[in-house]
Amino acid sequence: MRTYILRRLLQIVPTVLMITFVVFVMMRSVPGDPVVSLLGDAYTEEDAVKAREEYGLNKPIVVQYGIWLGKLVQGDWGVSILTGRPVLQDVLIRLPVTLELIVLSMAVALAIAVPAAIIGALRQNTWADYTATSVAMIGVSIPEFFIGVLLLLVFSIGLGGFLPSSGWIYLPGTCPTVVCGASLWGNTQHVLMPAVALGVGRAAILTRLLRASMLEVIRSEYVTTARAKGLSERPVIFKHALKNALIPTVTVMGLQIGFLIGGAIVVETLFAMPGLGTFGIDAIIARDYQQVQGFALLTALAFVIMNLIVDLTYTFLDPRIRYA
Amino acid sequence: MGEADLPVTPDVAWGARARPSASPLVEGIRRLRRSTTALLGAGIVAVLLVVAIFADVLAPRSPIASDQTHTFERPSWDYPLGTDQLGRDMLSRIIHGTRISLLVGVSSVLLALFVGVPCGMIAGFYGGRVDTVIMRAMDLILAFPIYLLAIILMVIFTPTAGLIGTMKVTGAIAIVRIPIYARLVRGSVLSIKEKEYIEASRALGVRDPWILLRHVLPNCLAPIIVTTTLGIATSIIVEATLSFLGLGTQPPTPSWGWDLKANVAFIQANAWLSLFPGIAIFVTVLGFNLFGDGLRDALDPRLK
Repeated sequence: MRTYILRRLLQIVPTVLMITFVVFVMMRSVPGDPVVSLLGDAYTEEDAVKAREEYGLNKPIVVQYGIWLGKLVQGDWGVSILTGRPVLQDVLIRLPVTLELIVLSMAVALAIAVPAAIIGALRQNTWADYTATSVAMIGVSIPEFFIGVLLLLVFSIGLGGFLPSSGWIYLPGTCPTVVCGASLWGNTQHVLMPAVALGVGRAAILTRLLRASMLEVIRSEYVTTARAKGLSERPVIFKHALKNALIPTVTVMGLQIGFLIGGAIVVETLFAMPGLGTFGIDAIIARDYQQVQGFALLTALAFVIMNLIVDLTYTFLDPRIRYA
Repeated sequence: MGEADLPVTPDVAWGARARPSASPLVEGIRRLRRSTTALLGAGIVAVLLVVAIFADVLAPRSPIASDQTHTFERPSWDYPLGTDQLGRDMLSRIIHGTRISLLVGVSSVLLALFVGVPCGMIAGFYGGRVDTVIMRAMDLILAFPIYLLAIILMVIFTPTAGLIGTMKVTGAIAIVRIPIYARLVRGSVLSIKEKEYIEASRALGVRDPWILLRHVLPNCLAPIIVTTTLGIATSIIVEATLSFLGLGTQPPTPSWGWDLKANVAFIQANAWLSLFPGIAIFVTVLGFNLFGDGLRDALDPRLK
């Protein structure tokens, strides 16, 4: 097991290198360059050449990537061309916002999906099942930002500003610098709507899947055996059926990570949250190469690590699955 | 998004338990017609197609002509869905937006299909080095969180208005969806190519392209059809999302995602303006999802 984790951790390196390299090359093939926006109205060809030289933008792309990588290994994530701030510092301030959003939205998703799927599977073809599956179908079909808009209408505008429509207050203990204010209630108010907006769609997908695999598992022989030996319904469902039914669901949760990252960008944009998503999209649109690289690096890391966690969850759910 | 729970099992194609008298296709259609949800989905899709095709006739006004004397009109007899900050008729914008949504949704999936399916078939059928090269290229795309890739592609393509702008969005979404088809088809082909009828065709001296087209492809069609229908739903959401982020087809071309985003700024006083584009996206995606679900149940009864 330990060697497996070690080997997987080593495999992360080439994947992350590849993603960051491809992003590096792609960003530099975007028409226009950041020097133009940096100089703005004062743009002259002479200054542009000078600025390109200063930031090393006149070197071949592979050399530029090598320089970026070399600095990265030493803990230097580079400095934003447009803001002049160190990328690592900006990223660290924004990371807790997005992490909290994603973790809570997954929690929302599971809190809705697991009970809904169990009810749906146990009471197959009853009104409870039809309600669960119809609501799930609707949930799959609504984009995150529209759920967000509906929440805004109800809780921000309808209830007279009960929940704030934008901004962020850090959860106590997650603020990386001294300047940001933190409060538990303020944080809850700010994170509630975004987490629900992002979680509902995931909940719908998980409900559909989990219900289907629960239906399959419930009819299997070991569930019959468990019932035959006199176990009460609760342990049969939770210990025997649910655990096995969760395996395909976990796989799909892994596949959903890519969508979750995109969803975070959208939800953060809608609720004007200072998270990594807004950071990334702003950086990409402004062509701030260094910031984009920082964003891509962090996204790639999150993506591969989450996938590793998904694979490790299997061994917990089904001890027969072993990684050597 | 719904296609994650698709059948990857290859040989369940075309109604494994079909009655010997009816062809599997006929049997599939018969099952489809019995499903109310599938019919509802098909109905929604049909209505949307009509709206998209006859948008010029159905829309009461121009979707792009602004009218400074009628900004932020509330829904009324003259303006059934109101007007936006430029005085543009919302109903007409929604009707014309159907075109962009359907065009991007359908054509991006078809584009991904036409590249991905041959890739998967060749990779699975020939194996070896060809397989490695093709599938590693697919893994490269899959290694990206799809929105990250689509966003960067759109920045490279630089979003514009009109048909060209729509084609760029189509291309970006198609690229991120190619690997889905390649993997799906490769999996099917791997098992189909071991079947006796393929061996028999080979023994008869049939050439590879003919075997692939005539014997392999029809047998992996069912999962392809289901993935395509559900994939259109996903592509429409991705298009709306890109537009919402300002990276889709640019104004003045009417696009639901863009309209929703632009009107969120006025949500306090004019809530309906962002509601209607959202509802339009929702209904469209729901239609394709219902239809796709019905198709899956019909073509693959074992999953029901």
